Amino acid sequence: MLSLFLHNGGAASKGQLRCVVARLLSTTATTNAPTTTTTPGSEHFDIIIGGGGLVGTTLAAALAKNDTLADKRVLLLEGAGEFKGFDASGPYQNRVSAINRNSIELFKSIGAWSHIEAARYKPVKQMQVWESNSDALIQFQHDNFASDVACIIENDLILDAVYARVREAANVQILNKARIECVRLPKDTSGSHSELQLQDGRSFSCELLIGADGANSIVRKEMGVDVFSMNYDRMGLVATLELGDDVCDNSVAWQRFLPNGPVALLPLNEKLSSLVWSTTVSQAKHLKDLPPAEFVDALNEAFCRQYARVELADKAVQALNSFFGQQATQNQLQYPPRVCAVKDGSRATFPLGFLHASSYVCSGAALVGDAAHRVHPLAGQGVNLGFSDVRYLVESLAAGAYAGFKLGDKQHLIKYERKCLAKNVPIMLGVHGLHALYSTEFSPVVLLRSLGVQLTQNLPPIKNLFMKGAMG
Amino acid sequence: MIADYKLRQTLANVLARCNSSSSGGGGATIDADTKREVQHHENHAADWWNQNGSMEALHALNEIRVPFIRDGIVARGNVKPHYVNTTKVLKGQRLLEVGCGGGLLTEQLARLGAQVTGIDLAEKLIAAARDHLTELSPELCSNVKYKMEPVDQHAKSNCERYDAVIVSEVLEHVDDKVALLEACVRSLRPGGSIFITTLNKTLPMWVAGVVLSEYVLNLVPKGTHHWEKMISPLDVQRILDTSK
Repeated sequence: MLSLFLHNGGAASKGQLRCVVARLLSTTATTNAPTTTTTPGSEHFDIIIGGGGLVGTTLAAALAKNDTLADKRVLLLEGAGEFKGFDASGPYQNRVSAINRNSIELFKSIGAWSHIEAARYKPVKQMQVWESNSDALIQFQHDNFASDVACIIENDLILDAVYARVREAANVQILNKARIECVRLPKDTSGSHSELQLQDGRSFSCELLIGADGANSIVRKEMGVDVFSMNYDRMGLVATLELGDDVCDNSVAWQRFLPNGPVALLPLNEKLSSLVWSTTVSQAKHLKDLPPAEFVDALNEAFCRQYARVELADKAVQALNSFFGQQATQNQLQYPPRVCAVKDGSRATFPLGFLHASSYVCSGAALVGDAAHRVHPLAGQGVNLGFSDVRYLVESLAAGAYAGFKLGDKQHLIKYERKCLAKNVPIMLGVHGLHALYSTEFSPVVLLRSLGVQLTQNLPPIKNLFMKGAMG
Repeated sequence: MIADYKLRQTLANVLARCNSSSSGGGGATIDADTKREVQHHENHAADWWNQNGSMEALHALNEIRVPFIRDGIVARGNVKPHYVNTTKVLKGQRLLEVGCGGGLLTEQLARLGAQVTGIDLAEKLIAAARDHLTELSPELCSNVKYKMEPVDQHAKSNCERYDAVIVSEVLEHVDDKVALLEACVRSLRPGGSIFITTLNKTLPMWVAGVVLSEYVLNLVPKGTHHWEKMISPLDVQRILDTSK
């Protein structure tokens, strides 16, 4: 039996002849190589994802896994060469992420979590946050440590897990060394497709172009949305650290706010932790080039050193604790394990900044991850916000496609934007607020922030609210 | 002939009333009042597909009416189970859209795989619908047919042909609702469904849908809706009951 159906695989820009392809009903239409292409040069896809980082690749995997979108042809463009893969028996990588429960749910739903579990990851049972100018401290954990606060996972492992899902998806193509040269959106061309050209001259068209191309997104620039951005004049320093013998199971994440910025230890396994140290650009560069022994000393000092105290804040914290009838022991500051060595060549720095796009969508295009929002790493929210974008976008696209909307229809994309803004804006303001609050040693501010932190520590409902926000 | 009436109240503005005075026979001739309605809508033909233009409210309504029709057809059990939750959900369904205008709803239903025939009395709107189809949605050309034709004439040559008939945001512009609905039912195959959405004839609907949207907020062009043509769900039901 013959069925006639329309195949838009080969058609390109506006006004182009569509090609009607007759096929046997029984043949599968999954591989979808364009059988008849009227214009060589410009291949058409339903969705093109610009950027094959953590968020972009996860989006490709999630699109492939969605039943409603399973017949859409997806192209994933990545500027770098082919992903080299991940060796779970090799040394730990210095770029890691604290993955919250929502993100883990996403990995489970696309079948990537078992891959991560089979390799290596470290669940965090407790998180202690304290500061340098007063005794105020806060500890996050679930009741009786029943579940994990977050999981520390190497970025390359996440990428490996989602790439495996993308590779087995018949409707997703990956193109490496594909750098976007220019983008044309329907609003400019008054056509129905988004078009893009790569630096090597190849060109593509699609119903929906997704910008997952990071903080300097080319797609975002072409969308012409307003961007609010701020440079923190700070850098993040990462490294892989060996811990001393005083560590037991190393399941606590530590973060101390120093006058220049927070320093954090994220557990990787029983003996290793990953460092994220945000500080001034000059100090970060200095620390990066210190001889290993001196670097380790500087780090241990950062976690233990007594800074100029604001006595009023200390007294206020004590008074507050006695008001809540807290035993001194219940609320005691624990000290992180001593760091005894830094892995060779694991130190690296990256710039920190704040960025938020005023709009995430327009006709024929949408933004996800750092292309839409970038935030200080102090709460480990950046990549988790990106993964939450992925969930919302796939949900919205599936609902839109099932209601007969075009994938690039702004009327429907706006729903994705609305969901994202409601979730992202409060978290971003909160994280930025914390950064601002802890960037000063001005006594009244120290007093207020100490009281705030201690009050939160002593009032479980408020603390749970924060945990819910940060952990999904 | 059995028609299945899907009359549900949705938060926007589903449904209807009967103008008892105007029941009776209906012919293919178009009276002056209908001509005025057709002309009123034709004035917006060029702006029909502009999501931010005068038809913005109608665009927004697709969020509600497409799922309403889709789920209604699925609920009848005529859709192959493996099509559910895919973009082929309406594949093979023959639909008639009466009063399709510029084709906003028509194209979206066709994108779900349905074979849709859209008819309308307004020549300019049918032309706008055809232009949009060939220029911006060429992949749907084999799923959509547009015709400038009154429904009773269409029903004569397409008796018991369609799996579902859709009369969306149309009844409130029609005088002879009985003739229109009877023709719709004649074109339905036995067991087919008819989907009707219209402004309810209630005071709050009149205040929100006519006074506020047309004269205060300018969401809808002035003079689009008239109280005397609005109809309540119960009255629609009554017409359909008698036209079985």
